[in-house]
Formats: sequence, C-alpha cells, structure tokens
Amino acid sequence: MKIERYDMIVVGAGPAGLSAAIEAAKQGLKTIVFDENERPGGQLFKQIHKFFGSKEHKAKVRGFKIGEELLEEAHRYGVEVILNATVIGLYPQKEVTVKIGEELRHYKGDAVLVATGASENMVNFEGWTLPGVIGAGAAQTMMNLHHIKPGKKVLMLGSGNVGLVVSFQLMQAGCEVVALADAAPRVGGYGVHAAKVARCGVPFYLSHTIVKAEGTDHVTGVVIGQVGADWNIIPGTEKHFDVDTICLAVGLSPMAQLLKQAEVQMADTKGGYVPVCTKDGATSVPGIYAAGDVSGIEEASSAMIEGRMSGAAIACYLGYMSEGEKNARMKELEAQLDTLRQGMFAPKNRGKLVEKTDEGIAVSMNLLENGFVADDEIERYPGVTHQKGIHPVIECTQNIPCNPCQDACPKGCIRIGKNITSLPAVEGKKECVGCGMCVASCSGQAIFLVKEDVEPGFGEVTLPYEFLPVPEVGERGLALGRDGREVCSCEVTKVSKAPAFDYTNLLTIKVPNEMLMTARFYKKA
Amino acid sequence: MMERIANHPILGETPKREKITFIYDGKEYEGYKGEPIATALKANGVMTHRYTARTHEPRGVFCAIGRCTDCVMIVDGKPNIRTCITPLEQGMVIETQYGVTAQQ
Repeated sequence: MKIERYDMIVVGAGPAGLSAAIEAAKQGLKTIVFDENERPGGQLFKQIHKFFGSKEHKAKVRGFKIGEELLEEAHRYGVEVILNATVIGLYPQKEVTVKIGEELRHYKGDAVLVATGASENMVNFEGWTLPGVIGAGAAQTMMNLHHIKPGKKVLMLGSGNVGLVVSFQLMQAGCEVVALADAAPRVGGYGVHAAKVARCGVPFYLSHTIVKAEGTDHVTGVVIGQVGADWNIIPGTEKHFDVDTICLAVGLSPMAQLLKQAEVQMADTKGGYVPVCTKDGATSVPGIYAAGDVSGIEEASSAMIEGRMSGAAIACYLGYMSEGEKNARMKELEAQLDTLRQGMFAPKNRGKLVEKTDEGIAVSMNLLENGFVADDEIERYPGVTHQKGIHPVIECTQNIPCNPCQDACPKGCIRIGKNITSLPAVEGKKECVGCGMCVASCSGQAIFLVKEDVEPGFGEVTLPYEFLPVPEVGERGLALGRDGREVCSCEVTKVSKAPAFDYTNLLTIKVPNEMLMTARFYKKA
Repeated sequence: MMERIANHPILGETPKREKITFIYDGKEYEGYKGEPIATALKANGVMTHRYTARTHEPRGVFCAIGRCTDCVMIVDGKPNIRTCITPLEQGMVIETQYGVTAQQ
C-alpha cells in the first residue's frame, strides 16, 4: 500500500483551511488540502453580501470574491487542493484515509489541520420532514450557486445573522419572504442586517416559533405561534401563512467527528462538542490542529485569521519558522482577531441583553424586537445629523466591528476612530460632496444621503439598492419607512451605478421634506 | 415548477449551459448538464424524491450539500444516490425511491 507524505494535511478547503494552507505554504511547507465538495471555498461562494470588519479583514468585499482571492493565493503558493475527496479517517499518528471516487487512499502528514466547519441545526415541529422544509444553507446553495429559486413564498425561522442575511438574499433572488420568526424575544444578528430586511416589508415575529408545516406531499403553508415563558405556544396566538418553503436558520454545530476519532481531548460546551485547543489551534495530540467553526462557531472573517494562526503554528512546529518569527506573526494575527471579537456581539456577550452602546446611548429596543429602529429612536445616534446641504445619515446603532465607511469618505465626514466597533459619527464641519461612496461601502446598507429643499417643499434621499429590476429615472413609486410600510409616493430622480460601488446601486428618490428622515426604501408602485 | 434565476442583482446573468434530457419516473425532462440532479428536478416541479420504508412519508431536499441524505433517489439503477450533489448527465434515468428500492 502506497502512502503519500506531506508536511501538512488540511481537511476542509473553506476559509480556515485555505488560509492555513497559504500561511504554511508561504513558509515552504509541502501542503495538501482535501475537501469533500465539488468546489472549494466552503460556504464562501454562497456569501454574496459584503463582509464586515476593516481592511485587513477584507471588509466590504463580498464573500465569493474573498473565496476567489483565497483560491488564487493558494495556487500561487503551490497548495494542492483535492476536491471530491472525503476524509473518512484521522488517526492520532497523523495518518489520513481519504475516499476519492470508489478508492481509498492513504496519506501521512507531519501535521494535520482539521478545518471541517459546521453543520446546520434543525428543529422539530409537526411536518418538519416535508419536502419544502429546508436549511438556510440549502437556500443559499440553490440560489447563489445553482441559480434556482428555493421557493416562491418563504417563511424564515431564525433571526441570527444567517437567517437575516439569507432572508435578504432570498428577496434578491426574486422570492417573497412572508415573515421572519424566532422563538427568542430579540433579534440575534446584527441590527443593520435586520433593518435592511424589515424595510423591504418583511414582518418580524420574535417570541414566535413554528407550530406546524402544512401539506401532504410538500409544504403548502405554515402556522406559527407565540411562545410563552414556559416555551409552549400560547393558545390563540397562531397565525397561518401560505408558503411553499420553510427555511430553518437555527444555528450551527461544529463538525468535529474526525478530531474525536483522532483521540483529541474534546469538551462539551454551550457552542457544541469541540476540541480543546490553544489559541493557535493546537489540540491535545501533538501535530493535530483545529481552526475555524470546527473549534467553535464564529464568522468566516475570524475563521480566516484562525487558519492563518494555525498555519504559522504548524510551520513553527515543523521547524520552518523560528519561535521568534512565529510569535511576531501571532501577535499581528491576534490583534486582528481581537478587533473582530469586540463590541456588542463579542463572544463574551452571547445571550446577554446589551442595553447601552459603548458610547452610553440606549440601544433601540424596537430594533431588537421588530427588526427596525423606530422614527423616535433614530435621532439619538451620532451618525444621524441635520444639515443644510447634502449629508450622510448613518443608521448604524450597535457596536459592531466594521469601519469601511470611515475610509470611503474622501472628505473626512465620517469618523469612527481607532476602535472599529465605535458608532460612526458624522462630522458637521466637513463638507459632503454627495459622492455616495459611503452608501455603497456600508456592508450593513445603513447609510443614506439626505438633501433638503431640492425644490420648494421637497428633498432627496439616496439609498443603497441591490435588487432587480433597477428602477429608472422618472419612475414614480412608493417610499417605504424603516418598518417597510408605505409612507408617501415618490419619484426616482437619479440612479447611480459604478464599478467602485460593487453592484450596490444608488437610488435617489424625491420625497416631501418632512419624509426625509422616514423614507428608507423604494417600491415600484 | 420552480423558476430558475436568469439574472441576479449581484451575480449577474446566469452563464449559458448545455441543455440535456433525462428520464424521471419514465418521462423525459430537460435540465442542464452538470447541475445537481436535484436542481433539474426542482426546475421541473419535482419536490418528492423518495418515500420512507415503513411509514411511506415523502422526503425531498433538505441540506442541499450532501450531508443529510434526505434527497436520495435511484440513479441509473443505483439506489441511495444523493441527488443534491450528483451532477446531471445526458440520458440519466432517475427514479423515485421507495424505502431503498424502486416501486415494485
């Protein structure tokens, strides 16, 4: 039996695995990556939204572009990526068995990194096995990879970032999202993600869960109901929706089976069954490492940094990098990871209700309970100012790690400061030229340009628009409020498209002056 | 029938692909070469991929990434094929799976 040897074997060609392989290959390690899928990139190629973070985290770049960049980098450094290759065995001696086609092949790594990611959780309810009940990941796979609508009318269960982002993507694909429900009393994901879904008119039902899926051969409807303090449905609160698809976004669980098989010390935590590992991903078995979601669920941005850390650690473990070089690199990467783990959504705040921002401003309860900031709450944030001429209105109301808007403004109107989780503030003294770069750069689509009195009694609102068809100048339609309700009729006065906007079109609508702080979305009449 | 996405606000126009035919439960249908069998079936309105052995309940696509095995069917005579990750080929014969066999 032939056994092929590599310095480093990586299981999983997602953001963590590829990043680790690149980092190690840069130091000269002979590296191979196995992935069971037909395409590399893990879930990155399904992520069509702009990522958060700062420049070093590839903020405002869409997920699939980050995937392309990673792959290109992997090839440049000579990383071998083997697809359709399922790793079915990992032994403490770092032997790896891989099923490729109908054949089993054997590999030996001096070090092995497991970056197998996570799988979606499910919930049980009457009818949950019916065709038409799908995972949120399945919806993304269908619409963003295979170019088919997952359903015509969809109910989303789960208000974490996955549920929110996929709801928006469903609408971008042309599906109707009839409602978003979550058994939790408050929205779990970023407020800006919720707000862009809510302003399209999707009602949020917090403290609600699915009672049953209706249909005999496939889903034809769904009933949701309000959950009481005992987590049972309160009788009489049931609501029916006609849907053909129910999408479940109820969390992820690490896929750590291979690590357990390799006799790595495991821990049963709130976040799932995970390997016990050091900061750089070293497990209890020397030479076996873990990075990304397999060692605890986070975002792709942090998975990429964790991967780089493990790659450097392995390079040092195998003598390709000195202890000093490794420590210097680690320090750099740790600082990057640390900035992502700050703010309201920091791991230490999970499950806690944060009532005030770092700046001491009350968090919008309406945002947490209904998905949008109420008109009487929005004025208290530092990105919201009233000025005579055109100026940005930044409806970014939670401390999340993100700062592209600050660099996007050529005039220095937007200030976040060194701490990237600070709320962006609009500087009144600097002159906005209305270029719209901030609007397009905001991954949360939370920036609008407002200009009073373009003609007597009327002003203009410029908003990010990522839907088809793109409205035409002169078209008349309806302006929707943050809650997705119609607030007034309006006219499209400008449509800006530019390569620098990266497919975020800027739509300018003319509304009465008194609606400038209310109108936040456009709907064709 | 589930609509295919011809044009997407972020991903642009769907690339042109080769149209092919396949047989599903004895009838001929059209799909695109190389797309998952499940996608071609969905585009043709097929939701139920199999029925469970004991309680005869319908099952279809759930995870779409080859993990849950809910979408398995009989493909070219072979049962338990994960249709969500198996590429469609010209002339493939796809059958609804009952338990682990075709309908008797």
